Amino acid sequence: MDATREIYWNVGHGVVLPMYILVFGAFAVLLWGFWQRLRLWRQGKPLDRFDRYDERVKRAVSEIFGQLKVSRVKGGGVPHALFFWGFLTLFGGTLLIMLQADFFTPLMGVNLLSGDFYRGFSLVMDLAGLLALFMLAGLFFRRFALKPKGLEIVDDDYRIHLLLFTILITGFLMEGARMAATELRQNPDLARFSPGGLLAARLFVPYGDDSIRTVHQLLWWFHFTLVLGFFCMIPYSKLRHIVTTSANAFFAPFEPKGTLAAINLEDESIEQFGAARIADLTWKDLFDADACTSCARCQERCPAHTTDKPLSPMKVVRQVGELAELNPEGSLVEKVTPEALWACTTCRSCQEICPANIEQVNKIIEMRRTLTLMEGAFPGDEVRTATSNIEVNGNPFGLAYAGRGDWAEGLPVTLLSQESDVDILYFVGCYASFDKRNRAVARNFLTICSAAGIKVGILGKEEKCCGEPVRKLGNEYLYQMTAQENIQLINGYGVKRIVTTCPHCCNTLGRDYRELGLEVPVEHYSTFVHRLLEQGKLTLTPEPFSFTYHDSCYLGRYLDIIDQPRELLRQAGGRLIEMEQHGYDSFCCGAGGGRILAEEKLGTKISEKRVRMAHDTGAPLLVSNCPFCLTMFEDGIKTGGVEGELRVQDLAEIVAGRLRNPN
Amino acid sequence: MKILVCIKQVPDLESRFKPNGSKLWYDEADLAFRMNEYDEYAVEQAVRLREQLGDAADVTVLSIGPDRVGEALKKAMAMGCDRAVHIADPDALLRDPWQIASIIASFAGGRGFDLIFTGMQSQDRGSAQVGVLVAELLGISCSTTLVGFACDGEYVIAKRELEGGIKGVVKLRLPALVTCQLGLNVPRYPTLPNIMKAKRKELLVIPVAELLATGPVAATVSFHPPMRKGSGMVLEGDVSTLVEQVIGILKEKTAVLR
Repeated sequence: MDATREIYWNVGHGVVLPMYILVFGAFAVLLWGFWQRLRLWRQGKPLDRFDRYDERVKRAVSEIFGQLKVSRVKGGGVPHALFFWGFLTLFGGTLLIMLQADFFTPLMGVNLLSGDFYRGFSLVMDLAGLLALFMLAGLFFRRFALKPKGLEIVDDDYRIHLLLFTILITGFLMEGARMAATELRQNPDLARFSPGGLLAARLFVPYGDDSIRTVHQLLWWFHFTLVLGFFCMIPYSKLRHIVTTSANAFFAPFEPKGTLAAINLEDESIEQFGAARIADLTWKDLFDADACTSCARCQERCPAHTTDKPLSPMKVVRQVGELAELNPEGSLVEKVTPEALWACTTCRSCQEICPANIEQVNKIIEMRRTLTLMEGAFPGDEVRTATSNIEVNGNPFGLAYAGRGDWAEGLPVTLLSQESDVDILYFVGCYASFDKRNRAVARNFLTICSAAGIKVGILGKEEKCCGEPVRKLGNEYLYQMTAQENIQLINGYGVKRIVTTCPHCCNTLGRDYRELGLEVPVEHYSTFVHRLLEQGKLTLTPEPFSFTYHDSCYLGRYLDIIDQPRELLRQAGGRLIEMEQHGYDSFCCGAGGGRILAEEKLGTKISEKRVRMAHDTGAPLLVSNCPFCLTMFEDGIKTGGVEGELRVQDLAEIVAGRLRNPN
Repeated sequence: MKILVCIKQVPDLESRFKPNGSKLWYDEADLAFRMNEYDEYAVEQAVRLREQLGDAADVTVLSIGPDRVGEALKKAMAMGCDRAVHIADPDALLRDPWQIASIIASFAGGRGFDLIFTGMQSQDRGSAQVGVLVAELLGISCSTTLVGFACDGEYVIAKRELEGGIKGVVKLRLPALVTCQLGLNVPRYPTLPNIMKAKRKELLVIPVAELLATGPVAATVSFHPPMRKGSGMVLEGDVSTLVEQVIGILKEKTAVLR
């Protein structure tokens, strides 16, 4: 007997017309729902996220069908991916049945669904159904019994779980009823290829044909109605993410990480700077709110949230969505609250882990811009003072600008104002110029360069703050003012290459300054020194030591520099004991986003939390390569009570101490 | 109501000061300039009054000095002053308070200002005389070191800081001049739209020669850093240990016991 089955068995071909009408009806409801959402999204400003179309499609296809982003967090992600694949297979199989029944058979007279193909099809569909069912059960258990922290339970969750369970179970029951009345009697051999259906079929065996047929018809219509309900629910519930989260894999930015739209300060027609209301955000910002699945991954990694500050990136995204829907004229800052906005360190761990490609950081900075540029607000008086210090003296400490180059007196370094023919311009930054602890890093960097025969130039008192902290706090005006002065100066000297010891300077000069006219290559000393070592211009004498390494946010997550510093430390003789949160998953020191200028008055100290993580590795030494991190950790070690058990050093200090022929 | 705010641009106090060639004042090289702190309180208070009175008020900000004082005037306008007057005088820093006050009074005389705000003193010269001298020259009432201010259009109620933490309250009939002290207010940070607007506000430049008709009454004799002196040492504790300590110090640091 041929292996196939009768499509529309027991329900008859008479259902075809009403079925299609109802399906089109359901899709109309779905489209209507999204049409209404579209009106919400279109309240935002225009933004081109349809460029580089092919790349976007490729990325979206691989992210969605590979479930690449969601599966990175094993707990919820892997079951989600497996469920997705199972459900997708069922959906695809149903489509194939539709094509067979209503196109191939009537129009071409061929039956694909027969023989070995049908056996395989049947088995795959059954296994997919079972997989989806088990994964759904797992996810149900996780959400409602394990209750992971931060994962909120809303009404949608009950509805969706119930709906999906019922769809899957009625599917198997329906299949079982059909098999009990047909396959089990006529072709029991084939029934083996429907393991799930076979289990269900056993339930029906004791009953007579008529009862089975009646139950089957009822189940068919019930299952069908539920599936229609599923489609109708998509735009109106959390199921929306099937469309929006997937679409965000297409809409995600291609710009270098950390790219912020610069404000055109020449344009006198602009009356609103930053985002005060919904209409000041882009459509993508509003779309993001619909793409959020409230998975809480951002929140549980947020350094502000996990130290009891009133910020949750997830909540910010949701609040934007609520305002867009309910009160588009309302104040964003009031909704999100200034305290939450100021708490962000722009560490980007939220964005890095987000399975929905949501851009949390720039929303926060846009709202900070309105606080700063439109209201002249600051997170605290100390930040007001630091900002005014940058205006007057070009550094947040308020120290005399004329003393900026004092640290280098007597060291092998050239002042560009005296001679501009150098191998590299070392853009020193405020901390390495003025802060005592970080001056040691600058000196050690010079020692390394000098051992490698690199002629280093500095700008000395002509250099100004790169503007990063104030930019991240929203003060685009002051940022552009200082940036333009630096750029003019650097371009004027015909510099060939810039090296920084500060990842914040590095990001700002290397990425943000591009827009304002700086084209010189910029790099962080971690990669620069790593290359010197690879080229044989430097040799180290390894001395064994144990350490743990802190990835600064702006070096790791923003600039993707993860391996080179570790390799340098390994070559210096270091044995690395990783903290649990390292690499792209690193935990901020607390100083990013301009927080270096602010006192940490809310919650517990981020630096202490990170220092404890380092301490927990048992390594006696914490190595970082960012002046902000170093400053925060020196503090965190003292106030966090691990003094004497943990020291912090900069990468440059380790390398400089192990040079084969230190000059 | 016509309001005048007088501000001075001074070097940032963290700067390194060196005497200039004539050893009569500091050398301007390598100095970063900013608005005198007390004058920021004056500007802020004037702008607050301007906001209180609406378009019935007009605030003029005035500064005397070389071209660079334009920056301070722009900041004051970005904070909310309506117009600025720059009395162009490259030698302003060398003038004594009497000359500065005379220049201001000569500008303000006949222009009908109802209220004049100045800082309590400048951060560099620190004479604290300019405000009171201007009031005297214009023959209007005056109150200094304000830490509280209210004005109803006819009277000013001023809270003054006195010695020992005591405050006094005075009432002045307009026209009047007040000098502002730390604690009066927190000066605002200019918003970007106001910074942009300030670029289009009127900035009148008047050569100092048109206003200055008098010589100095106090001459600067010398400008130099304080003499270096050895620091003292205070020892405390039990007499017997103190004796040991004194002997130790005498042995270590002097030759008397050798």
